[in-house]
Amino acid sequence: MMLKRILLAAAGVGALMASAPAYADDIVLRALMEDVPETQIIEAMLPDFEKETGIKVEFEKIGYPDMHDKLVSQLVSPQSYYNLLEVDFLWAGEFPAAGWLADLKPFVEKSNYDLAPFIPSTLDLLGRTQDSLQILPMYNYSMGLIYRKDLLADPKLQEAFKKATGKELAPPKTLADYVEISKFMKANAGVAGAAMQGQRGDPNSMEFSNYLFASGGAYLGDGKKVVLDSPEGKVALDLYVDNIKNGAQQGALSANLDDTLRLMCSGKAFSMVTYWWMLPQIDNAEKCPDVAGKVALTTMPGGHGESGGWGWGIPKNVSPEEQEAAWKFIQWVQSKDVSVARALQGHAPVRSDVYTDAKVLEKYPYYKEAEEIVATGKSFPIFAYSAQYEDVLGTHVSQAGGGEASTDEALKGAAKGLEELLAK
Amino acid sequence: MTGWMNWAHREARTGWGFASPGLILLAVVMGFPLVYACVLSISSYTLLKPAILPIVGADNFATMMASERFWNATWLTVKYSVITVTGEFIIGLGIALMLNRVVRTKPIYFAILTIPMAMSPVSVALIWRMLLQPNLGIVNHLMESLGLPRLDWLGSPNLALWTMAGIDIWQQMSFVVLILAAGLASLPREPYEAAEVDGALGWQQFWFITLPMLRPVAAITVIIQLINEFRTYDLPYVLTKGGPGTATEVLSFFAYRQAFLGLSINEGAAAAFVLLVIVLAMTVIFFALLERQSKA
Repeated sequence: MMLKRILLAAAGVGALMASAPAYADDIVLRALMEDVPETQIIEAMLPDFEKETGIKVEFEKIGYPDMHDKLVSQLVSPQSYYNLLEVDFLWAGEFPAAGWLADLKPFVEKSNYDLAPFIPSTLDLLGRTQDSLQILPMYNYSMGLIYRKDLLADPKLQEAFKKATGKELAPPKTLADYVEISKFMKANAGVAGAAMQGQRGDPNSMEFSNYLFASGGAYLGDGKKVVLDSPEGKVALDLYVDNIKNGAQQGALSANLDDTLRLMCSGKAFSMVTYWWMLPQIDNAEKCPDVAGKVALTTMPGGHGESGGWGWGIPKNVSPEEQEAAWKFIQWVQSKDVSVARALQGHAPVRSDVYTDAKVLEKYPYYKEAEEIVATGKSFPIFAYSAQYEDVLGTHVSQAGGGEASTDEALKGAAKGLEELLAK
Repeated sequence: MTGWMNWAHREARTGWGFASPGLILLAVVMGFPLVYACVLSISSYTLLKPAILPIVGADNFATMMASERFWNATWLTVKYSVITVTGEFIIGLGIALMLNRVVRTKPIYFAILTIPMAMSPVSVALIWRMLLQPNLGIVNHLMESLGLPRLDWLGSPNLALWTMAGIDIWQQMSFVVLILAAGLASLPREPYEAAEVDGALGWQQFWFITLPMLRPVAAITVIIQLINEFRTYDLPYVLTKGGPGTATEVLSFFAYRQAFLGLSINEGAAAAFVLLVIVLAMTVIFFALLERQSKA
């Protein structure tokens, strides 16, 4: 009798549970995130979102080089483990072409989400078209030059530089000036002239892109014609290789972003071409006491650097409930209030109203320079095989840096590789 | 006669009955992925167009064979495997011979030796990457304090493959030591006693008794390690991403690159199949040689 009652009660509870609707708080959003300050800033705010909506969000943080493969294996499976995506602009050609992303346009229309404050170039960078929006900008990572003010202001170094070159030691205006100062610092200041990320693949192809744009070169011309193998491209690669060999730290050809950050942070480098939001990390007395207060940010000498950005996407291969929850999160995290709160902690905004926010400018006056870096940035070629092209370009640039190929051969190889992949 | 045949038939049926769960499991776990990979390698399947059809036959293999990078990767794989297996064997044998003389503290040595083997290759690579960091790593710091030049361990095209091989030897050597030590411990004492009576020196005993008797164990160790090294993927992935240039782009990394960066799963599967065929051929040749030697 007792057993019968227990079974009946259990069946009743089971039936109640089965008939209950799925509440938002049943859903856990899982995202694979790059382990960078932006992610940490958002992660610290996740409890607020959970409190507001009841939706739990979990970030799995890993290094950039491992992200693409890990995401792709989930996106090609019948059901993705990650139901919220952090998408790099380099994948903005590949992911939509493969049909892995849900179109965000219906979500935007349904929720009346205002896209007007988003800087148009950040939307275009991520492949926005008239008919669809597959990725919503998350943050910007245009690249600029971070350098040591104290070394430029050192009277002994100034005198030695004047004697050696006949020029004043000042922030460089051209790429050739920059490489000259970098080499001088290595020879005279007891530091590497440049902390360079020359590891084959994403690190060196992103870094080289800055040299290319700063020299007035480009990857693609009108009608998507490959114009990399140009006199400007040659100047860029010659200067890049010169800096790797004579200005950079030892081991530059195997260094990635983390290595260069550590080097700059330890005070053993004069400069680094890097993402502009690295400045608050380096200019931080707690994290980098050796250089805090001694560093400044500027646009890439020559006027143009590499532009880049991350966005939010929603995979197609998750349930509609998960997609709704993911959209709720994206709206929240990119809202003005949350964006300003993020910016106050060093976030690189994609909304123009955040760059002009008084509180943000008061705390970080260099956001003016940052806005210029974002405005003048140029993009790496975005198409279905961008990730592969990074490897192709990276291999040729690395071979030139390591002396295994001449800069002419490397440039021709890189241009041919781009043509082949565009035709694929 | 008929009764015996019935009995033998029943015996065979029972045998197959007992073996079938294992065989089915093997077919599912090993056979299916192999067949699937084979189909992919002759298909037009890419991540952008995920469809097996149309079957393109040997086109993927032809594309790969025409690529200079494939041959570079194959050559590097052979070079890397020979360097690592030779290093592991020579150092491993030396340590195993020394351990063979130790009696009381042997378990302690074995426990210490198993530590690198128990670590995942990714952790090993990350640890060594930090140790070998040219500017902030401890290895260059020690070298400098000894008056030696700082080396660009992973950034120099001439040194990167050797550095990677050194790290691999450091990790894999323990396995060789353990197997060879077990082999040495199982050798009979009598030939040594007879050699001592005859006045044979230590190196003569090693050369004429230990090495010939250890040959089967040594051969197995070498073939296992050769197969392992041919498949190396983790170390180049974490340490160098195949660079600088293509200095450390071994065959398994090449296959990964084709599949996941090039989004061409079919070409990646073709490269993986070539790797499989090389390893299989090596195994067959090695076992054939071993059998011929044992018969001789």
